[in-house]
Amino acid sequence: MISLAGRDILHSWGKFVFTGVGLGLLIGVTLSMAGVYRGMVDDAWSLLDNSGADLWVVQKDTLGPYAESSSLYDDVYRSIRVMPGVASAANVTYLTMQVVQGGRDVRAMVVGVVPGGPGEPGQPGYLVAGRHMTRGHYEAVADTAAGFKLDEIIEIRRNRYRVVGLTRHTVSSAGDPMIFIPLKDAQEAQFLKDNDVILQQRRRTSENPAFDRPGVPGLLDSIITSQSTNTYVNAVLVVIKPGYAPEEVAEPIRRWKRLQVYTRTQMESILIGKLIATSAKQIGMFLIILATVSAAIVAFIIYTLTLGKIREIAVLKLIGTKNRTIAGMIMQQSLGLGLIGFIVGKIAATLWVPIFPKYVLLLPGDAARGFFAVMLICLLASLVAVRAALKVDPAEAIGG
Amino acid sequence: MKLPPLKSRTAALLAVLVPLLGVFIYVLLRSGPLAPIPVTVANVEKRSIAPALFGIGTVAARYTYKIGPTVAGRVQRVDVDVGDKVRAGQMLGEIEPVDLDQRILAQAAAVRRADSSLLAAQAQLRDASARWSFADKQAQRYEKLLQARSVSEEAVAMKRQELRVAEAVLASARAELEVARQERVRNEADSAGLIEQRSNLRLVTPVDGLVVARNADPGTTVVAGQSVVEIIDPVALWIDVRFDQLSAGGLRAGLPAQIQLRSRSGQQQRAHVLRVEPLADAVTEETLAKVVFDTLPEILPPLGELAEVTVALPALPAAPVVPNAAIRRVDGQLGVWLLDDGDLRFAPIKIGATDLDGGVQVREGLTAGDQVVVHSRRPLSARSRIKVVEGRPGVAL
Amino acid sequence: MADLQRGILIEGLRKRYGEGDTAVDALKHVDMEVAPGEVVGLIGPSGSGKSTLLKCLGAVTEPSAGRMTVGGEIIYDNGWKIPDLRALRRDKIGFVFQAPYLIPFLDVTDNVALLPMLAGVSNAEARKRALELLSALDVAHRANAMPAQLSGGEQQRVSIARALVNRPPVILADEPTAPLDSERALAVIRLLNQMAQQYSTAIIVVTHDEKIIPTFKRIYQIRDGRTHEQAGEGRELE
Repeated sequence: MISLAGRDILHSWGKFVFTGVGLGLLIGVTLSMAGVYRGMVDDAWSLLDNSGADLWVVQKDTLGPYAESSSLYDDVYRSIRVMPGVASAANVTYLTMQVVQGGRDVRAMVVGVVPGGPGEPGQPGYLVAGRHMTRGHYEAVADTAAGFKLDEIIEIRRNRYRVVGLTRHTVSSAGDPMIFIPLKDAQEAQFLKDNDVILQQRRRTSENPAFDRPGVPGLLDSIITSQSTNTYVNAVLVVIKPGYAPEEVAEPIRRWKRLQVYTRTQMESILIGKLIATSAKQIGMFLIILATVSAAIVAFIIYTLTLGKIREIAVLKLIGTKNRTIAGMIMQQSLGLGLIGFIVGKIAATLWVPIFPKYVLLLPGDAARGFFAVMLICLLASLVAVRAALKVDPAEAIGG
Repeated sequence: MKLPPLKSRTAALLAVLVPLLGVFIYVLLRSGPLAPIPVTVANVEKRSIAPALFGIGTVAARYTYKIGPTVAGRVQRVDVDVGDKVRAGQMLGEIEPVDLDQRILAQAAAVRRADSSLLAAQAQLRDASARWSFADKQAQRYEKLLQARSVSEEAVAMKRQELRVAEAVLASARAELEVARQERVRNEADSAGLIEQRSNLRLVTPVDGLVVARNADPGTTVVAGQSVVEIIDPVALWIDVRFDQLSAGGLRAGLPAQIQLRSRSGQQQRAHVLRVEPLADAVTEETLAKVVFDTLPEILPPLGELAEVTVALPALPAAPVVPNAAIRRVDGQLGVWLLDDGDLRFAPIKIGATDLDGGVQVREGLTAGDQVVVHSRRPLSARSRIKVVEGRPGVAL
Repeated sequence: MADLQRGILIEGLRKRYGEGDTAVDALKHVDMEVAPGEVVGLIGPSGSGKSTLLKCLGAVTEPSAGRMTVGGEIIYDNGWKIPDLRALRRDKIGFVFQAPYLIPFLDVTDNVALLPMLAGVSNAEARKRALELLSALDVAHRANAMPAQLSGGEQQRVSIARALVNRPPVILADEPTAPLDSERALAVIRLLNQMAQQYSTAIIVVTHDEKIIPTFKRIYQIRDGRTHEQAGEGRELE
């Protein structure tokens, strides 16, 4: 027995392939959408991985440092460092701001890290170019997504930094590229405003008679100095010694230091449950709509193709073709269309995904699931056409 | 079995589908998580590195003289302004003496009065002395007359009594003279004290220098200890440098250094570490040090200008060195990814000194000639498939 | 009557559409017999029931009463006697239509070979049979072409080949010459006669084409749902 579906496809292959390409683009969009969601989740995980921490110590009763702002004194890390099970503890600051380079500015998350070298919590885990920061001031490691090149000078607040290293895929949960600078510079950047504001502040302070007392020379200067220093950080990143469970180390810190401590699993659920949840639902809705639309389109296409063959179907039935064979022909065509569509869609998605501004992750698992979904949708969509075909009366072939 | 002849139609369709399938398979294998990860490698070299310390400082004057009054008062005049050069002993200004001049006059008058009292006391002494002398002679004569029974016992007793009185008056006069003398000394001292104070109201610079601040203008009331004019020695400059404690190991006096002033980026000035402050800043966790220029620049930098200071530590003996980009932390351990016959293996290492260009000494764990992964496009694991590529300098993988 | 048994025998066929007052008898009483090798004409005005008769005989419509015997087998006797009508159509009845109705996406050989393949014959054997018939019908040189590339006459011949390929005892031809000119029409009738003789097939040709009616030896006229047999001219064909 020859394959009727195959012969039909061969005969009008142009139309078939053209339709397949169109369907494929739709499937490509669906795959990309799933990839966008995976990318968001991966961004969140990368954020946690890149910090190199096992525990995040933040201000009490906050969801920080990513989901909510948190402030700690910068000497808190010293007392955490000596708690049992703690291998290392480092301060870290996060601030999303505009970074200027050569006339353009880029929105980035500026991360202040302790310049203890590679391997310290907070420092980027691996580089794609250059080196880690070695100086305690005015050096930066930036993500390639910010568009900076090695040895370029960038401006953050009032200071200039030289880009000495580049990373990939170190982004905040909102997709902003991260720029790592030494902690003290970051504290200054987070706190100190521009020169005009500083002058205003000094003027106001010196006009306050409580601060400018003649009997106490030096009081005003001390006050101005204390106003110009920032002793806060956003979080302390903790690395646990091997052999200790995260909760075991976190609980004493929570109780005795009266700070909030999150383990890796808790941070994951905060990021994914709070930061990403709404976007995930958004994308989920969109995926459902896309899938429905795709199913409808496939059904429509196959139905139209079948209707165009009504006479041939009547003749085939008259000359003795089994209903099963005719149904099989229609279903095979539908699956063939789905196969072409999926191949085109996967190729298209892979090719256009790097252009997206945020990270899109196409997993092989998703592609496989997508493949089966496409095949299932094609099969179900073809049922409509099969029903129409089966209802054809072979007597129609005999002219009334 | 005879294959059916390939029709042009079939051939055309295959011509479209086969390349499509090919692209599809390529796309599956080459992109996404299945693709091999590009990495760059470097050989571990045995060489000596020259570590250096990096700190930020401000230009400061070594000596700052804050000239001000020792008593509260009102500024009468200030003769100099910021930027003026002054010589040692030059008068910079004056605090209003208020009533001090009048008190000096009063004290001078008191001294003169004391003089007069002294003269009076001296005269009194002479008077008492004369009376005593007479009383003494009388007493002696009457003693002689008593022996000759020319006078009565009573008359002799009276004369003896007069002598005794005269003696007392004489002693009293002597004491009065002493009092007058001491009075005079005291008044003189008081006078000298007031004059001394008066001279203190004149603000005088102890050294040659440059005026850098004028803190009070005439008419301002100042308290004791408040500085009216600040003077520095302009050629005695140093950089007040702060080094992060984590990267200040090996800092000591005498080490050579380079200074880069903020306003003169690109120019490095030769310098050396003068001293390391014994008191570090516990709050900011920084070690403080003073660095001086080897030769002062022609145009002096303004005080307070920021400077970046790099202190060169002595070069260390040769040891295996890796770029710091190769060092990663896996499962809590610090190490590098070694390329072992094409297989990837994580080697924990212990690191030693680092230099400012990213070279890190490896104390344990690597030998010269080992190939380590420096940059990688994605995080690596023992099972990652990798592809070694030539890194182009400055270009990201 | 052994010969007749292998042909077509219709007795008292009736076909009623609808029920009650609105019932219409498309066929009231039809008697017909066609011997193997014979080609008879079926003529009548439009609406007389020609198509209905073909549909009943072709086992696509169920008659209301009567008996039909095809190829020696009773296929209907006041109820279908064959469980698988489709197989019946495939194996016992060949159809030739007004238009060739070839499957446009199969080539000429496969259009013909499709029927034996549906019957379970191997592809190679089916194509062999198809080619035999195509040569017999003088269109073997077009064996690999697609139907759209053939002329009308060639397509018609291919459809006749298709009708014959399973060696059915019966062929039903519905206005096979309507679109053709007289020369071609006669050629088709000649072919049918040839094939009928060669393969001992009983053929009914429904037609109102004046050009070919004279060629029938026997004609059935159908009027108001009843058939009347009459002798035809039986004009000779070269």
